[in-house]
Amino acid sequence: MSEKEAEALLLELKEKAELMVDLAYSSVIYDNKDLAREVYELENFIDVLNEELQKLAIKDVKGGELEVNEALAIIQLGACSEAIADAARDIADVELRDVELHPVIKESVLESEEVFVRVKVGENSVLKGKTLGDIKLASQTGMWVIAIKRGNKWIYDPTKNTRIEEGDILFAKGPREGMEHFVAIAEGEEKEI
Amino acid sequence: MKVPRWKKAEFEEIEYEPKSIRELLKEMKNISELIVDLAYSAILFNNKEIAEEVRYLEVRMDKLNYEIRIMAMLAARNAEDAEKMAGVLQIAQAADTISNAAADMVKLLAYKLDHPILPHLIKESDETIRKISVDENSAACGKTISELKISSETGVRILAIRRKDRWIYGPKGNVRLRKGDILICIGPEEGIKHLNKLLKGEIEVLE
Repeated sequence: MSEKEAEALLLELKEKAELMVDLAYSSVIYDNKDLAREVYELENFIDVLNEELQKLAIKDVKGGELEVNEALAIIQLGACSEAIADAARDIADVELRDVELHPVIKESVLESEEVFVRVKVGENSVLKGKTLGDIKLASQTGMWVIAIKRGNKWIYDPTKNTRIEEGDILFAKGPREGMEHFVAIAEGEEKEI
Repeated sequence: MKVPRWKKAEFEEIEYEPKSIRELLKEMKNISELIVDLAYSAILFNNKEIAEEVRYLEVRMDKLNYEIRIMAMLAARNAEDAEKMAGVLQIAQAADTISNAAADMVKLLAYKLDHPILPHLIKESDETIRKISVDENSAACGKTISELKISSETGVRILAIRRKDRWIYGPKGNVRLRKGDILICIGPEEGIKHLNKLLKGEIEVLE
């Protein structure tokens, strides 16, 4: 049973590490210190998760549920995710420094085809109270909501049943063309999806 | 024994060739995002082919990191410039660190465990990952990804295309396929099989 638990933890580590990389690059593109600070927060959380994973793997070996090699592989995968998370933090660190960003950073990253955006759901937004499945954001704007921050809680990898609330901070990824429309909808300026 | 392609790339000499820092950094960012995706997929699906691509990208990343350092040193004209450039190099280094971590992950596949490392996750996923090359007889040659309706007909997502020694990361709909292109695709088993038929020239259109 707990062998499955270790895998679930590992999956969570993977998703958070990937989100951190996204957020970190975005922080330097948009010169946004808030995003950079989110990366730092997540990094602390990753450390906690990774330690839990290590304990669990060791416990499973002791309980005879995992072979030594299997547990070792799981622990090493966790360590790799942590290394990725640390690298994301190093990127965010560039943003948090009191040195103006070199223009080449923005140019090179903005040229990439996918963009990343962070937007707060306004009180007049048509998204309020709807699920991600209801609004078909992905097919209409091309933007995928990859995470939601609600107060101090994070919802990673939201599903079509995830309901959006006022004040939610949506993190979305998609083609440059879809971005403006998406932001206008979330902030409540645009009513048509 | 056949020497894997990434190994050959590792021993190639690096020649000085001026490239813009912007281009270098852009490619490093793209690789750092793709490589993590590929590494996890290789582990999840126990796929050695994808693991090989990861190692190849990692070698390429090392080269880019070396080149960007040279270019950064040449570009800095004064102390202020140099300080800003330090930030660029820190990002480049982080991208390289990410790719190293991804390469370390796929090394785990050499453990020769008698089953996948993550047996439960793989059971719950109905997706699979595959490398498919475009046959010269395929009707897909010369057509764009959107013309072929790959995503709507098969549900398959193309993570990247390798064209000789170049990579196209996260290809958009307007990318035209050529014979010999290698597509790294992720999607439902059925969809992948269907796409494979098209790319091997067994069927004319996806329907």
